[in-house]
Amino acid sequence: MFKLLRNQKVRNALLQALYVGALGALVIAGTLIARQNLAAQGITSGFDFLFKSTGWDLGFSLLPASANDPYWWYFIIGILNTLFLGSFGLALATLVGMIVGLAQTSANDLAKLLGRTYVDVFRNIPLILQVFFWYALITHLPPPRSAHEGWGMLLTSRGLYLPAPNVGGLALLAASLAVVAAIVLPIWLGRTSLLSRPLGQRFSVQLAAVAAALVCAVLFLFAGRLPDSPLLDLPSLQGLNLRGGLRIPPEFSALVVAIAIYGGSYIGEIVRGGFKAVGKGQVEAASSLGLTPWQVFTLVRLPLALRAMLPILANQYVWLMKATTMGIAVGFTDFFMITALTINHSGQTLEAIGILMAGFLAINLSLAALFNRINKAIALKGNQLRG
Amino acid sequence: MTVPTTQEIAVRVEGMSKYYGTFHALRDINLTVARGEKIVVCGPSGSGKSTMIRCINRLEEHNAGSIMVLGTELNDDVGNIDEIRREVGMVFQHFNLFPHMTVLENCVLAPMLVRKMPRAEAEATARRYLEKVRIPEQASKYPGQLSGGQQQRVAIARSLCMQPQIMLFDEPTSALDPEMISEVLDVMVTLASEGMTMICVTHEMGFARRVADRVIFMDAGEIVEEAPPEIFFTSAKSERTQLFLSQVLGH
Repeated sequence: MFKLLRNQKVRNALLQALYVGALGALVIAGTLIARQNLAAQGITSGFDFLFKSTGWDLGFSLLPASANDPYWWYFIIGILNTLFLGSFGLALATLVGMIVGLAQTSANDLAKLLGRTYVDVFRNIPLILQVFFWYALITHLPPPRSAHEGWGMLLTSRGLYLPAPNVGGLALLAASLAVVAAIVLPIWLGRTSLLSRPLGQRFSVQLAAVAAALVCAVLFLFAGRLPDSPLLDLPSLQGLNLRGGLRIPPEFSALVVAIAIYGGSYIGEIVRGGFKAVGKGQVEAASSLGLTPWQVFTLVRLPLALRAMLPILANQYVWLMKATTMGIAVGFTDFFMITALTINHSGQTLEAIGILMAGFLAINLSLAALFNRINKAIALKGNQLRG
Repeated sequence: MTVPTTQEIAVRVEGMSKYYGTFHALRDINLTVARGEKIVVCGPSGSGKSTMIRCINRLEEHNAGSIMVLGTELNDDVGNIDEIRREVGMVFQHFNLFPHMTVLENCVLAPMLVRKMPRAEAEATARRYLEKVRIPEQASKYPGQLSGGQQQRVAIARSLCMQPQIMLFDEPTSALDPEMISEVLDVMVTLASEGMTMICVTHEMGFARRVADRVIFMDAGEIVEEAPPEIFFTSAKSERTQLFLSQVLGH
């Protein structure tokens, strides 16, 4: 018996069994206690509430919503709002980060100083403070009567009013998908073995794909155009109110700006690190072959830096996705705020938090999985010798 | 030795100096290399030999004196720098292949972009040079999948694809395992026998004996000795050269 206990494999198996058993006991005990406490307070647990109507309205929604809609529909809207905010915030943060990172790695001392200062300032102010700052700034813009005007846009304390296409919802969706295709297609075509031939030819195929997708987008827009209306619906002042156009609420703008600027400072550092990680030798080899600085940048430095950045960038994206929960601070109905409102109105705390956690887990695991795939696809082949 | 005419001069370095901050890395370097000549540069580490050849294609900027390459003055003029880099190939100690491109892509990149060669022609040229460095079968592999010796031969082929008139070698065998050194040196010997102008920084004294027209010994940023190999290895004038040779050839 003792001899058996001294066996390494038996010991490991025993420890595993103990661990799993303890974990199981903990979960069962927790569930039982929770159920007992909920029963004592007269709260019925379960997910039946999802099918009841909410009875409250939403501030911002991409899909039609009213107080008669059930909770599950509101959760879907919340997830969509979070994804919508996240995709804008992440995209802009990446853009800002690229500029800041490149400024920091440039040979120009002024650019370096500006990049450094940017990172130092915006990385060290808490995100929630930055959200409040931008929200305060935007809501202190002039009222509709004295709005700032330019390029058909109106900038007011009630939000940013943009010209909107007079196009049906379905056509708009199709057009947006076509634009997404215009971005994804060239990347996909660049990877498939079917087309892994000459660089030059591959490039023209990619260009053709982009052009085709963009033409489709324009066609969708024209086909879905509402009859007897101008192509663009311009916002205008009528009485004390603004009519027409697309309104971007101040909550949304403030969050996007805050996430872009705050995230940009972190991504700027990642970009800087990525470029620092590119071997000096490869750059020298490219220059010694007579490539121009631009060619060295696009064909050698950028592709290699991107590979170094990607794993850390994925980490940052997951982080920024979670930062969208700041929506509750300014009243943007993101996934988190809808969960909080649900808890207030229905009292189903555990269930709602469970849905919130599962939702964020799903979003961020998908994001991580996507980045892992990209990472694997573009990973350098073989052993790398660092020169 | 006969004095070469302007037409025959590949590289002429006159009174060149280079500083890193206050450190005087190169002092008054004078060197003339005729077309087709093979020069071997040796010397202790830190003597400035790599810095010197890196000045010839402007990977390092010289601070004083002049450098003429194939009749073009190497100065701040970007056009001149591009012109010289097109005609001067370089092979590095750490190969410096582009790890995200296949061997073939490594080889066709510069000819297509810099020489505006059509793809088919660039690929044909690349395959010819890969054949020459004896690794035509590796064309579709990535650098990381090759051995050090193979990578260095690809690096030589990549440089040759630009059809340069001068080749610079910066310690091409120093990062290699002993058994791979000869495969790289063999390629370099072949290249030399075909009349390529070569300036090689190397510690391979056997290669110097066999191939070099002149051996240059550098120490502390200066050219200390310059002689044909038969004289250099048997009756070096300077004490520093003799000490260096006794250390390198001692065992």
